[in-house]
Amino acid sequence: MSKVLEMRNICKSFYGVKVLKNIPLELESGEVLALLGENGAGKSTLIKILNGDYQMDTGKILIDGQEVDFKEPSDSEKHGIKMIYQELHYAADLSVAENLFIGHLAKGSGPIGKHLIDWKKVNQDAKKALGLLNVDIDPKAMMRDLSVIERQIVEIIKAIYGNAKILVMDEPTAALTPPEVEMLFKIVNDLKAKGVAIIYISHRLEEVFHIAQRVMILRDGNHVATKNIEEVNSDSLVELMVGREIEERIIELSDNKATAPALEVSGLNKFGSFKDINFKLYEGEIVSIFGLLGSGQISLTRSIFGAERADRGSIKVYGHERKIRFAQDGKNAGIGFVPIDRKVRGLVLDMSVLKNLTLSNWNNLLTLGFFKNKKERAHSQKWIDALGIRMAGGIDTAVKFLSGGNQQKVVLARWLEANVKVLILNEPTWGVDVGARSDIYDQLDMLAKQGLAILVVSSDIHEVLAISHRILTIYDGQLTAEFSHKEASQDLLLNAAAGRLA
Amino acid sequence: MIKFLKKTGLQDVIALIVILVGIIVIMSLSSNLFLSPRNITNLLIDSTTVGIIAVFSTMLMIGGGLDLSVASTAALCGVIIGVFQASLGIFPAVLIALAAGAIVGLVNGILVTYVGINPLITTLGMFSIARGLAFVFSNGLTIPVFDLSGEHQAAYDRFTILSEGSFLGLPYPVIAMLLLFALGVTVLHLSSYGRAMYAIGGNELASKMAALPVKRYRVTAYVLSGISAAIAAIFLTSRLYAADPRAAPGVELTVITAVILGGTSLAGGKGNLVGTFLGVMILSALLNGLRLQSTSTDLQNIIQGLVLLAAVGFEQVRTGNVNLDIRKMFSK
Repeated sequence: MSKVLEMRNICKSFYGVKVLKNIPLELESGEVLALLGENGAGKSTLIKILNGDYQMDTGKILIDGQEVDFKEPSDSEKHGIKMIYQELHYAADLSVAENLFIGHLAKGSGPIGKHLIDWKKVNQDAKKALGLLNVDIDPKAMMRDLSVIERQIVEIIKAIYGNAKILVMDEPTAALTPPEVEMLFKIVNDLKAKGVAIIYISHRLEEVFHIAQRVMILRDGNHVATKNIEEVNSDSLVELMVGREIEERIIELSDNKATAPALEVSGLNKFGSFKDINFKLYEGEIVSIFGLLGSGQISLTRSIFGAERADRGSIKVYGHERKIRFAQDGKNAGIGFVPIDRKVRGLVLDMSVLKNLTLSNWNNLLTLGFFKNKKERAHSQKWIDALGIRMAGGIDTAVKFLSGGNQQKVVLARWLEANVKVLILNEPTWGVDVGARSDIYDQLDMLAKQGLAILVVSSDIHEVLAISHRILTIYDGQLTAEFSHKEASQDLLLNAAAGRLA
Repeated sequence: MIKFLKKTGLQDVIALIVILVGIIVIMSLSSNLFLSPRNITNLLIDSTTVGIIAVFSTMLMIGGGLDLSVASTAALCGVIIGVFQASLGIFPAVLIALAAGAIVGLVNGILVTYVGINPLITTLGMFSIARGLAFVFSNGLTIPVFDLSGEHQAAYDRFTILSEGSFLGLPYPVIAMLLLFALGVTVLHLSSYGRAMYAIGGNELASKMAALPVKRYRVTAYVLSGISAAIAAIFLTSRLYAADPRAAPGVELTVITAVILGGTSLAGGKGNLVGTFLGVMILSALLNGLRLQSTSTDLQNIIQGLVLLAAVGFEQVRTGNVNLDIRKMFSK
């Protein structure tokens, strides 16, 4: 094996803050190097330097032993480096073939033909390219009609077809279902066999053991260690990432004694999304809805809150029938909602922590439409202390400067400040690092003990098993089974969520 | 300079003050009249139409809206005063004009939020409709607004004093504008309405998910924008003793230029009224100075357009949307 990439002593500062300190990175052809670290550890900065988005302050990058200088992304692409981002950049209304060859579609021959695209050849070439990885995707299909994994595969094929030698995959499995993850791993293995070197970034440690040969860990801009995968286990990795030991989470779920359901959903339907949904959620209870992505769970919870509208059915909160058409109706009924993508739907990023925290409930903070400054600060501070929200620079810091976990807590705190009785959380720990994750679990536990009814939607089976009193599985828009915490197991859940009931 | 502009806040205000002082120095060097008390008073009174509207346009734009119909609405409201004063008396006519401004804003707001028409298109349509209505109601003629019959002298005197009176040397329209700016600053930074504007402009989706009544706030912002056009029309009509369907030509452009120059983001979520105030003063000083040198209206229009484009260009650089590297431009 040969070294395809070497990064030496990479340093980078932003506004005088050192975010990368003398980082070394070596990558050999045909290997997968997992790059690990908590959010803010410097992973993405390092990757952006490799891609030419940022320029390093000092340090060297060598490709095949030759020093290179990347000023912009096209420079790194010329040297065979390709990024596969979480959010893919593709043209949704063009076909797979067009996306693959965009910019150099095959032309025909003859005086006129040479100015026209030879669609037959384009589609044949596309078929051949797709065949490289043995995937069954129609080259004529529109990108928007593809599943997430299929789009990702197209993007990967486009990269290797463009002779990429080094692929950087940033959380590629974040939006994938378990079978799709398997598919991706198979493709990664194929790529390895073809000699492609891969830098793999993921928050999911079990994936790393599955796929990587070596791991490199960053913490606070420092290179902590680079190790062969055999030398580490998941505890030691977490310790290297976080810099301290994290105790195993012991789930201690109190028996639920409440009688009146906090939330009662009956006969809820939305055409094309979910069908005949019936369930109850009791005070002090954490119930998870587990299903493969796209099974209707997101639409269902959005409809309970009022972010979208169900066709028919009834929603009762503490016995009172509620007509929920808008988010305001949900809030007035005492329902809070923490969306998946907090940066897009959760937070006003440029506004301060304080203002984001009180956004859903101004009622007690206003006199004649003007804010009572002291009271607002006191209210916010209470939640910051209670949830342990950490931020440099205090309560007036723009919320965009907080880490993922702390941002998530701000959204959570907003609904607590709004005094909701039922809290719905969608994928509560996506993009949240290991340390903050167990923090959030503890807080949900605490809130449930205080009587909050919590409904969680998650595609992370470990999370679902760890935090729920009860688990409902959803498949193709319908609830398929219910498990108590004691009954539930990985196998049972996966089968029920895949529509295979024992 | 570019790095300087990238930092927000106080630096922006200082930069605007530097530009304003620069214009004042250049204009006073090229004309003796520029700094004369009489011209300063004229300049300030001239700035009030733009200034009064700009207060509410700033709030609207921070909330992610845009209103191109303000000048036409002002002309329409002026004409409405002119039409109704004869039969109903001047003060009922003023009230009707205010209501008309509110209705125009309400229609804009409903079309933008509930029907979902792009604000640019909606208010561009209204720009044309309101101006057209002004011509229809006035038959294209300038309507005199003073006491023709001689029976309501007192009422008309009170109307005229709106523009001719002064307090501590400051004409009433200027005082009204300053008060509206002060009110605007208070509302923007301390009230729920102001907070909502920043939230909705900053992230509309997140505001919706936080259960903020986004549509209601946005409609309110358009209604206030319409009312501000009516207020500007009242002072304008008072000053001219007449209602002219051609009134306030190009004022929407000046307003938007001033607001953007003042640092309000076209994308919403960012901006402040101190910046807008300085933007209004910069443009007023610039246009007044050009007029003193008998610059043609055409050239004034060209310069104003350039200022608008430069202001938007600087905003792009400041927000990092473009990387202005001159060397790179020429190396390729």
